[in-house]
Amino acid sequence: MPTAASMAVQVENLHKSFGHVHALRGLDLTVPTGQVTGFLGPNGAGKTTAIRVLLGLLKADSGRVALLDGDPWTDAVRLHRRVAYVPGDVTLWPNLTGGEAIDILCRISGPLDPRRKHAMLERFELDPTKKARTYSKGNRQKVALVAALASDAELLLLDEPTSGLDPLMEAAFTESIREIKAQGRSVLLSSHIFAEVEKLADRVTIIREGATVESGTIAELRHLTRTQVTAVLDGGVDGLATLPGVHDLTVLDRHVTFAVDEAALPTVLARVAVLGPRSLVANPPSLEELFLRHYGDELAALSARAERQP
Amino acid sequence: MVRLQLRRNRVRLAAWLVALVTMFAYVASYYQELFPTQAALDDFAAVSNTPGIRALTGLSPAANTLGGAVWTKAWMTIALALALGVVFLATRNGRADEEAGRTELLRSRMLGVHAATVASWLVLACLCVLVGVGITLVSAAQGLDPAGAGLRGSSVLGASVAGVGLVGLGVGAVAGQVAGTARAANALGSAVILGFYVLRMVGDLGDGALTWASPIGWGQKMEPFAGDRWWPLALLALLAVVLCTVAITLEARRDHGAGLIAARPGRAWAPRRFASPLGLGLRLQRGPIVGWTIAVVLAAVLFGSVAEAMADLLDDAGGDTADLLRGAGVPALLSMLASMIGLVTAVFATQSAVSLRGDEATGILEPQLAGAISRTRWALERLLIPVAGSAVLLAVGGAVLGAVYGATVDDPSQSAAMAGATLAYWPAVMVLVGLAVALFGWVPRVAVPATWGVMAAMWFATMLGEVFGLPDWVLDGLPFAAVPYLPLEPFSWTPLVALTMVAAVLTWSGVHRLRRRDLQPA
Repeated sequence: MPTAASMAVQVENLHKSFGHVHALRGLDLTVPTGQVTGFLGPNGAGKTTAIRVLLGLLKADSGRVALLDGDPWTDAVRLHRRVAYVPGDVTLWPNLTGGEAIDILCRISGPLDPRRKHAMLERFELDPTKKARTYSKGNRQKVALVAALASDAELLLLDEPTSGLDPLMEAAFTESIREIKAQGRSVLLSSHIFAEVEKLADRVTIIREGATVESGTIAELRHLTRTQVTAVLDGGVDGLATLPGVHDLTVLDRHVTFAVDEAALPTVLARVAVLGPRSLVANPPSLEELFLRHYGDELAALSARAERQP
Repeated sequence: MVRLQLRRNRVRLAAWLVALVTMFAYVASYYQELFPTQAALDDFAAVSNTPGIRALTGLSPAANTLGGAVWTKAWMTIALALALGVVFLATRNGRADEEAGRTELLRSRMLGVHAATVASWLVLACLCVLVGVGITLVSAAQGLDPAGAGLRGSSVLGASVAGVGLVGLGVGAVAGQVAGTARAANALGSAVILGFYVLRMVGDLGDGALTWASPIGWGQKMEPFAGDRWWPLALLALLAVVLCTVAITLEARRDHGAGLIAARPGRAWAPRRFASPLGLGLRLQRGPIVGWTIAVVLAAVLFGSVAEAMADLLDDAGGDTADLLRGAGVPALLSMLASMIGLVTAVFATQSAVSLRGDEATGILEPQLAGAISRTRWALERLLIPVAGSAVLLAVGGAVLGAVYGATVDDPSQSAAMAGATLAYWPAVMVLVGLAVALFGWVPRVAVPATWGVMAAMWFATMLGEVFGLPDWVLDGLPFAAVPYLPLEPFSWTPLVALTMVAAVLTWSGVHRLRRRDLQPA
């Protein structure tokens, strides 16, 4: 575990309510310095609320929140010089141009680097001379992204930054985040696009109904799940189903599919090798599967309720 | 197609028709009561014969008749309102629909290139004619025509309004073809109409030649109740037809969605000052600041030019009006005019102050506070605009009012005196700003309607409270009532200092609360 001093964000047992709505109930979240941390959860799980608390826009009800080396509520101005933020739903000044908005957003927290701005504008293919009124959602998001990426902030807080971007621009975004990571800067990337987080993140925190349900490096989280194996076996499936760590085995002709706990993988593969495999496909668990596992009971409850209704 | 346009616009069309005709009916019946005798009408004609009236509303050659007086009061407002309204409606049904893609949907069906456009013009032309007919009917019913002259004056009056409206339609039609966006079309159309207005203003102040260069001037020169000319109507109708033909030709030649003037690209960079809340606020509120300054200066010119003559008129009228002014003579009138400028400035200050909540509600505040700007700094810099802006508006308004009035009585010291009288309203305006900030801090979700509600109640109570017999404690409790009624009453520091302190406490409380609460986008 990295020590506290090397944490860009450290949140412990954070609670936040709006009237009767308990938006955050004991959230834990860390972003180690120099790493990209994915922040996954369905809509309404509290991701945006957590980021607003991190920016000092909302006051935490209880819990500990540290941003870089300070408290985001009391030291907001000093800390914000070192932070860049891309909101999930970007609002701009309708009668200013995109270029003007970028300059304003950059200069509010630090000096403007015209060369970086120009490079980012080119990379995201954004026309800065158009009034923000005429921009689509994707283009408004590009404005906020260009402003954040052109800064030299130590920490980037990105709230679903790619939700309005097309695949080409997502690739540009991925490239930019890799560069930032290479420069030793930290990123908190909130998303519900698993592939994006899987590609970029070193660590992932999964949140549900305002609380952390899973947290760790991508490798650590893989420990917790199963590898999906599909094979064609000439020697039958004798004994495979009863091996410890094998789940959900189905056989169709000589085709067999099952899930294996990561710990049981060596013994299971040894057994498969004996059974004369003709082809073998093993997939690492995607974040999608991790996610479904954590929200599985929720989904099950939902469908059960649906069944009970006439 | 015509039915679709009627259905889509029925509320707006009805609103314009009813509003304009009712306004005319109101002025007509009010003037009938106000000027019961020929002597009163002669007084009115004398009072109105000033450059200010001639410039702003035009002066009827027969201002000493009831019809002429009503024309002087209402014609310009109604004709301008109709022309501008028609421009906006033409844009709404033309360029705005095209921008939104609705026209595309229609045109992809079996529909001619011009079908939607022509249908909307027909509907709007009907609106113009109906407003004209309505005004003619009201005018005839109120008996504005001189005895024995038949209904000629009323007919010419209605026709002149309708004619100016039709020109507005032509202007709107061409603007909708030339400009590439609805906003640009509205801006271009209104600019042309206002250009017509200014042309005739210059003409009316001079030898009248330039009046003939403006279609609004043509409408004026129909001179209902005086010259009763019909032929300028032909000019107006001809111009409307020419403009619509030009618009049709343009529409046939251009691509769908394109305009003759391409959307102008803006700057790709922002000046450094935009990064401060004050600099950005000034840029974003540029329109209102310029607009309110022009409004205050125009009002001051008008007030100043009629003050002397109006006071004589009011002396003649006697009792009721003295109550309204809380005194008699020129000082009472000047005091009331100063308070009017105070009230107008209060609207500007309120508008600027509630924009703080506006920024929070739209979410545009969030990225600013996510930068290195504290909430206190943001709020205080933004509040500098209403605080300093009100002082400037009050001083300019008072100085212009005093200067124009001073010129009529050869007293140059009036300018400074009246600037002082209006500036005395600054603390009262600041109380309203403070109230807006306090509401913003403590109850952000209802702050904007609540602030405007207080503002409206204060306008109502200050202007009409005594007429409606509101209790004294309500009237005396208003911030505006506490201000020394200069130049009628003696100057006194005490209420001004007290008001300023109230304003400061309210502002401090609101900003203090803002620092401690969650940001609450709408």
